[in-house]
Amino acid sequence: MNKVKVEICIGTPCYLMGARELIDEMQKLKKIYEDKIELKSLHCIEERCEKAPIVKVNGQIYEEVTYDKLQKVVKDKLSKL
Amino acid sequence: MGLVIDEFYKSIPKHGQVVCGDNVEIIKNDQETIVVLSDGLGSGVKANILSTLTSKIAVGLIDKKLPLIEIVETIIATLPICQVREIAYSTLAVLKLTNKGFAHIIEIDTPSIFLLRDNKVEKIPMEERKVLDKTVHEAKIKIDQRDKIFMVSDGVIHAGIGALLDFGLGWEGFARHINSVAERYHDLKSIIEKLIDICMAYYLMEPGDDFTVLGLSFRKKRELTMLSGPPQDPKKDEKVIFELLEGPGKKVVSGGTTAHIVARELKQKVESTFDYYDKDVPPIMKVNGMDLVTEGLLTLNKTADYLDKHKLGQLYPEGKDGASQLIRMLLASDYIKMIVGRAVNESHQSLNLPLELGIRTQVMNRIAKSLKKLNKDVEIFWY
Repeated sequence: MNKVKVEICIGTPCYLMGARELIDEMQKLKKIYEDKIELKSLHCIEERCEKAPIVKVNGQIYEEVTYDKLQKVVKDKLSKL
Repeated sequence: MGLVIDEFYKSIPKHGQVVCGDNVEIIKNDQETIVVLSDGLGSGVKANILSTLTSKIAVGLIDKKLPLIEIVETIIATLPICQVREIAYSTLAVLKLTNKGFAHIIEIDTPSIFLLRDNKVEKIPMEERKVLDKTVHEAKIKIDQRDKIFMVSDGVIHAGIGALLDFGLGWEGFARHINSVAERYHDLKSIIEKLIDICMAYYLMEPGDDFTVLGLSFRKKRELTMLSGPPQDPKKDEKVIFELLEGPGKKVVSGGTTAHIVARELKQKVESTFDYYDKDVPPIMKVNGMDLVTEGLLTLNKTADYLDKHKLGQLYPEGKDGASQLIRMLLASDYIKMIVGRAVNESHQSLNLPLELGIRTQVMNRIAKSLKKLNKDVEIFWY
């Protein structure tokens, strides 16, 4: 795999709990790393809504994600590409 | 399928004023549409109060089924007098148009109505009479299904004074613009927007008077079926989807979980997008076969808030976000079938959302109530 795949849930709870900010920030990050990040939105990952916002990075699920947390995970995966 | 009347208007205040001195009131029922356009003396708040008063009295009396001419007499007799100019003043144009095309027009000191027939504007012949020292013009005519009618305040006829034209655009001048715009655009909303742009251009974008352009046309009835929320009993998923597919007109789904149920039953995929145009409204989704798929509660609440304030005849919101798209589709429909699932979304409960935001049944009831006020035929089916 030569890309980091980031999937952000945009269901109502995730959106309310900060998914929109995550999308904004990840789009900025994507501009820096261009082709190395694949950004997608999806819906309701395994009914974990109470732990919103939920993000999947390379298939692994992260709960109660903040941008700092997400950035660390993504940068870590980017360094291992 | 019967014909219904579409009506749109746009009012622009005089440059530098916040409120417009023109006022439009529209009432509608199953048989007819009544439009009242009034232009108060001067501009700004005083003019606005005068014109609002005039049109509200007119609409109130029309609602009581009084003959139009009696209504006009009452208004002329009761209008407050401007202390500066010592005249009681507000213009009045009333149009009563039945779905079968019978029109009754009454005008006092207002530019004559424009009748667009076979792509050419005609002046409607009017009878003149005196009512309490005022000259009242009246006409009763049959309007054809393909005709369009335009009503304007005098700010349109005067467009250009103080800017591009010495004596303003005039009735004939504006009629020529209606002709040329209607040749290029067929949809009433676009025609009105273009006509407003033309007047703004004559005024060099700084209108010297309030002005309003209002249009009416006939069209076929439009229908829409909307599904929101999973049914309380998951065994009914299939039935609910069947109801949606068998429902009339365009198909709308509102809610992430609902969208997934629809996609599953239709053996399709939910395509999510990232594009949000309004930070309060999550991005829309796509499911093959559906005309619009939006997120649920946030979009619905935004829709309900907007519809609460919408007045008949106002142009639709232009946004690309899910709520604006949903509002446009709802406003463009005459019959709306709502299928509402009452399953409680556990995740919403755990987020401690404000009570009224979290309850789908309440939001849907609010939307239905507003749509009914706008004379839409709405039916809700609960599951």
